[in-house]
Amino acid sequence: MPSGVTQIEREAWAILLILLLAAAVAYAHVTTTTEEYSRYNTDWNGTSALPAEEIRDLRNLDTAATLLILAPDRPFTAEEVGYLQTFLDAGGRVIVADEEGTANSLLADLGSTMRVRPQNLASLERDRADPGLFTVSVVGNTSLFAGVGTVRVNRPAAVTGGEPLLETAILTWEDGDGDGRISGDEVFGTAVICAAEGNLTVLGDESLFINAMLAENPQFIENIQPIRVDSIHSRTGTANPIINTRLWIQETPPAAAAAAALAILPVAWHFGRKRDD
Amino acid sequence: MNRQVSHAVLAAVAILVLVLIGVQAVDPVLYAAKNISTAAHADPATIQKRSLGDAASLVPLMDDLLGQTGTLALTIKLKDYESAERDLARYNELSRRFDRLVVTLDVSGTDIGEFQQNNRQNQDALAALLNDTRRFDALQRLEIEVRGDDEQHMTVIYEGEALRQKMRETFSAYARREAATVRIAEHYEINATPYQESVDHFAEVADAANGWQEEINGGGTGTGGTGSGGTVQSPLVIAVTPVEGSYGDVLLIGGIHAAGKSGAPVEIYVDSRLAATVALDDDRTYVHSYRVGRILAGPHLAYATAGTIYSNVAAFEVLPKNTSITLSLAEVNGTAVACTGNLTADDGRPVTRAPVLIRVDGETLVGAETDGNGTYRADILLPAGEHALRAEFHAAGYPLNASESPTETVILRGEGLSPFPFAAAIAAAAGTGWYLRRRRSEESTPAAEPEAAPSPEVARPTPQVSIAGLPPREAATVLFCTLRARLGLPETKTPRDCARIAPAYAGFFERYERIRYAGETPSEEELTDMERIALGGDADRA
Amino acid sequence: MADAKKYYAAAVLAVWLIIIAFFMVLSRTLDLEVFFVLALIGLLVVAVLIDGAFSRPRYMRYIGYIIAAGVALFAYIVAQKILEILAA
Repeated sequence: MPSGVTQIEREAWAILLILLLAAAVAYAHVTTTTEEYSRYNTDWNGTSALPAEEIRDLRNLDTAATLLILAPDRPFTAEEVGYLQTFLDAGGRVIVADEEGTANSLLADLGSTMRVRPQNLASLERDRADPGLFTVSVVGNTSLFAGVGTVRVNRPAAVTGGEPLLETAILTWEDGDGDGRISGDEVFGTAVICAAEGNLTVLGDESLFINAMLAENPQFIENIQPIRVDSIHSRTGTANPIINTRLWIQETPPAAAAAAALAILPVAWHFGRKRDD
Repeated sequence: MNRQVSHAVLAAVAILVLVLIGVQAVDPVLYAAKNISTAAHADPATIQKRSLGDAASLVPLMDDLLGQTGTLALTIKLKDYESAERDLARYNELSRRFDRLVVTLDVSGTDIGEFQQNNRQNQDALAALLNDTRRFDALQRLEIEVRGDDEQHMTVIYEGEALRQKMRETFSAYARREAATVRIAEHYEINATPYQESVDHFAEVADAANGWQEEINGGGTGTGGTGSGGTVQSPLVIAVTPVEGSYGDVLLIGGIHAAGKSGAPVEIYVDSRLAATVALDDDRTYVHSYRVGRILAGPHLAYATAGTIYSNVAAFEVLPKNTSITLSLAEVNGTAVACTGNLTADDGRPVTRAPVLIRVDGETLVGAETDGNGTYRADILLPAGEHALRAEFHAAGYPLNASESPTETVILRGEGLSPFPFAAAIAAAAGTGWYLRRRRSEESTPAAEPEAAPSPEVARPTPQVSIAGLPPREAATVLFCTLRARLGLPETKTPRDCARIAPAYAGFFERYERIRYAGETPSEEELTDMERIALGGDADRA
Repeated sequence: MADAKKYYAAAVLAVWLIIIAFFMVLSRTLDLEVFFVLALIGLLVVAVLIDGAFSRPRYMRYIGYIIAAGVALFAYIVAQKILEILAA
């Protein structure tokens, strides 16, 4: 038995250890969310593992990077559309990933003829029990899918217009009654999952970027590096106030300085005052 | 007070927790991340993987089938019968694989199902074409040999006429199917050219038969296959009434043999297969009731032979009918489910001796057959849990449309408890108990002494002992010797022995044993306690 | 305190149970059988480590029975798993 430490101190150490464990768990709980597509969601449907940089300003973007608008849920103002247009004209690549059709207004504003049509696509060309998880093949010639033969998608939507880049097999149908098999008046037919017009690409499957799907198409993710995510319009943010406060503190230098001062001052005061024992 | 209350509280809480856990113990997996999915996507790590399946081979197989019709028709036209037999065998093999694949992939409700039906009919038609062409060749050679013999010549003519009619009817049916098949082929981006060429080859073969027939008839009024009969009329006539029927209907196939004798046998063929043998009546008529059973929908041909005389060829149509199939499930002894149901055509007629497939959980297929009343029954062994079953009738070879029952679910309880785990548990407990007991008895064997030790209940007057100034462990040793002497125990007794002999002071001796042998150091309070006990205080409080 | 070793053992066992529970919650799988087996392993390890060769304190007297009961339950679980595998 260690002799230099009294019983009380040992108990204090044990309690401190447990409190530390609890604090770590609480921290992990508080700084992650379960919102879909969120950068702070470390679960399977978050995008925390996506190697991308968030940007809040669409002005003066680096044209070597790919701008990813992931599941947009906020409308674009005319000014922002203008910045996007400038970026496209300067040679930058924009990928709009949308499964619900909310990007259609943006596409119309940009003057594109491509539209996203949300459908419950199911295919027989799959190796999982879920009919919405299947493989599509790469058609067309583009650097986005260089070195990629097939892409595994996760309940995608169809994209109309533009030059097709990803096409499903012929044994694909729109499962209207949701029973997972072709029945009633459902017919087989190919669908286009991804189309492009110049530098603007519309991808009908935003699930390609969630944590669970990143390992399924590694070459594609590598091809679109470096990625800049438009965090104002994409659903990669979070409604969690604690995380947002922490972000705000990180980004505003005066706030960071204030927080640092808040942490250091008590410690300095504690060691600085005269001991009176 | 504190001690006992806290022990009681601890025991109560422990029992409560054990009961709560025990309630859950029947289903130990309390929570598992299974099949997590949202509307937008599913977690692929939790979705069960299954084999890639043969969906990728479906469209290439359709391509192969169409290509094979082209080669087969060509070899028949070129009269290369050996290659044609081989091609036909390969075509049948491909068709079998295609049928199996369509059933496994559950796509028979789509235009692929229509393609499958057309393919079956094409299969029959091409097989009939091969046989007919071969026979026709033989007839052509035979006709030249028997030119002198009028009677034999006539029989050859009759048979030739019958074959010609057959080939013409078969060809018109084959050509009727071309439009639908090509449309489906284009939908799936399959090359339909070989198939279209096969139609052309078929037409040429049928025309060649026409040409020969005109030739041997002197080329008189025959201007090429217009209607039945031409200039040749066989004495044996056949007709089918009514001309149309569906599953279960009875068609009357019969006719007159102008040159026949009463009682002579007449063989009736449907689609080149012998359907019945009847005898001529006194008025030289014959009739047979033909029940429409397992025969494809569409046009069919019937003809008769009496001896060597062939009749003309009569065509009749079998119309498709819809069917409906029911399924009801009953659990049988927890591990099996009994499936029963009825398969009936739309007009209420039961479909007898027909194959029925039961699809379990969307993947496995179990076969059953309907009996004479259209009822089927199957017992399927399944693991415990919930299962979805559906009965399907794929009308392979029947003039009926496929049907399926609604999906029914059944929950199986699974087997009851088996005694093996309990036996294992008891054996393990016994083994552990035996092992621990053996270990304990080993420890106490060296110290086994005759139990007749002097009972040390009498406490002798305490000797004066002072432990002030001694180091703690030595003080403890002194106290131990004091107590041992006070209790009258011999000095050879170890602390453990003393604890056994004088259980009232067991606590003291155990504590001393730890101090002496395990190297522990007693604290001040402990020493005071021990001193009090050793010098004759109350019962042990160690 | 004379029973310091007893309290240490209890504390270590409790911390081990908390660690197992923590990792099970983290991996979103709560399986009672796995928890029980790991707890039994912890109990056996602790029992072996605190068992002195020269003394048998009172709190060690009845641990044999608890261990026997735990091993019996473990044998039951293993036998049931074997049956499951054979039936599959």
